[in-house]
Amino acid sequence: MADLKELIIDLGDVDEVKRIVKDEIGSGKEPTKIIDQVTEALTEVGKRYDRGEYFLSELMMAGIIASEVSKILEPLLAESKKKATSKGKVIIGTVKGDIHDIGKNIVIMMLQATGYDVIDLGIDVPVEKFTETVRKEKAKVLGMSALLTSTMYEMGKVIEGLKKEGLRSDVKVILGGRPITKDFADEIGADGYAKDSVRAIKVVDCLIG
Amino acid sequence: MNKRERVLRTLEIKEPDRVPIMEMDIEVPLMEAIIGKKYPVTTSLQTQVIADRELEKKRNDFRIECYKKLDFDVIAADLSAPEYWKPKIDSNGKLIDLWGRVLILDKQTKAWIPYGTLFNNPEDFDNFDFPDPNASGWTFSPEYSREVAGEEYALSTFIRDPFAQAWEMLTPINFVKYLYQNPQFIEKVLDKITNFNIEIIKRIAETRTDFIISGGDWCEKQGPMVPTKIFDKMVFPNLKKQVDTAHRYGLKFIKHTDGNINPLLEGVSNIADGLHSLDPSAGVDIGEVKEKYGDELVLIGNVAVDNLAKNTQGEIAEETKEVIKKTSPGGGHILSSSNSWASGSRLENCMVMVEIGRKFGVYPINI
Repeated sequence: MADLKELIIDLGDVDEVKRIVKDEIGSGKEPTKIIDQVTEALTEVGKRYDRGEYFLSELMMAGIIASEVSKILEPLLAESKKKATSKGKVIIGTVKGDIHDIGKNIVIMMLQATGYDVIDLGIDVPVEKFTETVRKEKAKVLGMSALLTSTMYEMGKVIEGLKKEGLRSDVKVILGGRPITKDFADEIGADGYAKDSVRAIKVVDCLIG
Repeated sequence: MNKRERVLRTLEIKEPDRVPIMEMDIEVPLMEAIIGKKYPVTTSLQTQVIADRELEKKRNDFRIECYKKLDFDVIAADLSAPEYWKPKIDSNGKLIDLWGRVLILDKQTKAWIPYGTLFNNPEDFDNFDFPDPNASGWTFSPEYSREVAGEEYALSTFIRDPFAQAWEMLTPINFVKYLYQNPQFIEKVLDKITNFNIEIIKRIAETRTDFIISGGDWCEKQGPMVPTKIFDKMVFPNLKKQVDTAHRYGLKFIKHTDGNINPLLEGVSNIADGLHSLDPSAGVDIGEVKEKYGDELVLIGNVAVDNLAKNTQGEIAEETKEVIKKTSPGGGHILSSSNSWASGSRLENCMVMVEIGRKFGVYPINI
């Protein structure tokens, strides 16, 4: 039988991937173990992308395959009341004034595929919506995205909003988007920064772990 | 030498009297600041959203006034909506465009931005009423721009690259899914858009446009968005068909892309007449491109957009001088930013770019 991890890395046929996952479930394998394999595969794909061996479409396709696996596993986890095995809850959104969402959506797909519950607030999200959702959902991580240099400063306003509402210590804040740098993340008091979707998973893993 | 002569000589990769200056686009807040007027319409760089011809005239008038005030050498036009099209805005304020894309309005830039799609599966595309390139009205913008701006200016007309158009029409995630699971479908979509462009290029040639800019990105910061072998198989052959048509009808053809285009330079240099943007934030060194491909490609760029937003005027002056020093000697260089003047750019920095371009872009270059 083909190895699930290798199949994802090699961008194998989605139907074959699904069949293997179903077979593994049928033979009693824990869904969380399957998620671990998916995470390992995505990490390897990310490394190949970093090294310039894989292109963006290959990174995305691995995420799409992983997402299909995740769809099969999700009801099983819920059914067996093992939802607590979720690695954690992440709130994510594109900041106010910015309506770009390609990068954000790839990050969401990757996070879901690697076992996180994600609340997608969408685009053009005002400060209040971020803080309200952090309060209500008690998420461990808040991710913010911005494509434009004119909107990236909204991220600082959200962090100030969290402080004002007494929520800052409840949640780790990570940033992403084309103009965002580590210096900028440090400057506005974020906990982390990721330059692409694979690093976003690593940073979230570190912050939560 | 007037502006058009200056640009035409540059497009032949010969030295004119000084380096021409242009921008592919200037976002609305900056245009408003430059000419001190409120922008009269909402628009989109990616697609046609204005059906009313009086509003379309106002949109073009505004841009021409702005470009003239900046004393740019090139007036930038694009395609208008054909006369048969009427905009459809749903109850959530979303607009469906001619290409089956769902757009939402960015209030800051007064621009409609692609957000979703009507195409949830290949059958949706098969059943879609594809735009008719032979309908009247597509070339209203370049025709009107030439009429208003006169013969003194060079005129560029912006079209959408088939790869980028398909990427957005289907949404990036669906495009990638089909690329690997049903590549014949992607080839069909690319062929259809290419055939549309070929017909449109013939129409543009009748508007006294001087060169076409084929917009839409192929690359991101790391490199091409899809493997280079896919460019060889699906993208470059379609590019060649468009460029061949442009040449048959006397037009030059410039390809725009953001991102790191280095791995595609060899392929593009064999087909297109030039490249726009040459994104320095993605590691593209315009001097190296000039050295390797300067005899084949006109280069339009590349003062970094990010720097226009955050650097000092002194830093922008130095960067602009460096771009001219590396790229302008021998001709074939049009000075511009590395994309467009985005709304986050500092206007004073943009003006420094132009001022330095005028002062130090005089041939022979002596920096």
